[in-house]
Amino acid sequence: MKLWLPVAALVVALLVVAPSWLNGYYLNLLYITVLYVGLAYGWNIISGYAGYFSFGQIAFFGIGAYATGLIVVNLKWYWLLAALSGGVIACALSIPMGYVMLRLRGPFFAMGMFGLAQTSRVVITAIPATGGGSGLFLPPASDLRSIFYWTLAITVCAIALTAWIDRSAFGLRLQALREDEQVAGTLGINVTLEKMYAFALSALIPGLLGGGYAWFLTYIEPDAVFSPRLDLQSVVMAILGGVGTVWGPLVGGVLMTQIAEALWAKFPQVYLMIFGGLLVVLLIVLPRGIVPALVQRMRRTT
Amino acid sequence: MSDALLSVTDVSVAFGGVAALDCVSLEIREGEILSLIGPNGAGKTTLFNVISGVLRPQRGDVRFLGRSILGRSPHQIAQMGIGRTYQIVRPFGNLSVVDNVAVGALTHARSIGAARRAAREIVDFVGLAPLATRPASSLTLTQRKRLEVARALALRPRLLLLDEVMAGLTPSEMDTMAEFVVRLSEHGIGTVCGIEHVMRLVMRISHRIVVLDAGRCIAEGDPKAIQADPRVIEAYLGAPLAETI
Repeated sequence: MKLWLPVAALVVALLVVAPSWLNGYYLNLLYITVLYVGLAYGWNIISGYAGYFSFGQIAFFGIGAYATGLIVVNLKWYWLLAALSGGVIACALSIPMGYVMLRLRGPFFAMGMFGLAQTSRVVITAIPATGGGSGLFLPPASDLRSIFYWTLAITVCAIALTAWIDRSAFGLRLQALREDEQVAGTLGINVTLEKMYAFALSALIPGLLGGGYAWFLTYIEPDAVFSPRLDLQSVVMAILGGVGTVWGPLVGGVLMTQIAEALWAKFPQVYLMIFGGLLVVLLIVLPRGIVPALVQRMRRTT
Repeated sequence: MSDALLSVTDVSVAFGGVAALDCVSLEIREGEILSLIGPNGAGKTTLFNVISGVLRPQRGDVRFLGRSILGRSPHQIAQMGIGRTYQIVRPFGNLSVVDNVAVGALTHARSIGAARRAAREIVDFVGLAPLATRPASSLTLTQRKRLEVARALALRPRLLLLDEVMAGLTPSEMDTMAEFVVRLSEHGIGTVCGIEHVMRLVMRISHRIVVLDAGRCIAEGDPKAIQADPRVIEAYLGAPLAETI
């Protein structure tokens, strides 16, 4: 168990020095990979640990991106501070939203969250200050490297947070309510409160990532930051890697972004079709995800 | 009446037009084993749902340790010291046996480590020690029944509500379970209220029995008095059984 710590430190160190000798394309790919992994980790807390499958955490990504953009344009704050505020704003907004949405369960919650993300998009578009459908231009101030570092820092923190949740009392409470909410309640767990904590964390992470994404695009429009594709892909990555596990979103996220990229480069016309077929096969062979399957195999051999 | 740990006063619950509980009053005294008996649909589990805060009655009051617990949420009631099991076992299937039990211990443990240590002790006590690290979904029905009790015990409740922990067990397993319920006082659980259908054991271990029928409380007393009560014989026990006991 002690072995993984130096390995993790080495990987992070490599990622820190990587931008200085990577060219634009590879740095871009690395950024997108880290971004997807981070989004998958954000989703994994409310949906993997607490069992509330959400198809709308992208709402907080979009809110974070727009909040960051509006702060920079109107208040002219330093970009890092603006991105941080964007995440905090997304997290704060998630509290009233979660209070209402977490009364729904199962497929109703999943669809409700999808609707919430689309509603957020429409509301943002309707606010005159956001420029509506024509989008919002940010002053070009920051290079891709610092955006990459910001995203990397959040994603690493999200992994550390997940590792902590996995072994904490908070995580046990979440897993208990995932298994049976009523029983968890009669065993003394304040299920409403614990769900809200999980939901707020699952909003904070995409919120912070959204702030960085706004800078990455330098021009934000509703369809780009409230993109269901971005949302669904990060969800599928977490599912493929292993829902409710510490390493699942990392494994699924890294693997899928690389496969998608390779397929896109080789078969640009039909890559989505191949990709979809591959996903179906993988999920039939490994229904619980890659990480749980590996763990099971390791247990069997030892 | 001052030694009532929990008192239920005039509680009524209706589902649609059907009265599940109709002006039920009873009390559970400190240190006793009280059995709740009655035919199916009499409202026994509904009463447990009311006491544990899962269901809110339309009328009446429930007081625990002298305070009304009506309108409190299930977790608050659990933290006050009422633990319950479910008739249809509901283990957290993907969690280990120890973690299932540790969930209840989190209400008083300072850390997850302390909760797991407390859980280990209880798992030993209910005889599931060899299965401690296995996922709860791999347990047999008998083991799941024990796990239900273990989880509730982990709350360190003042009052334990057991909902048909004998159902589905073989006769010898039932004897073990009955002995186990009697032994709970050694573990600091003095007061038990159990819903049970196995009359042989109910009569043996109960200090007092309350009989429900069609949402009403029709009789209350010690096992001898209940067996002799003509209303109970008619509603539930049946004449031949009453003669054989």
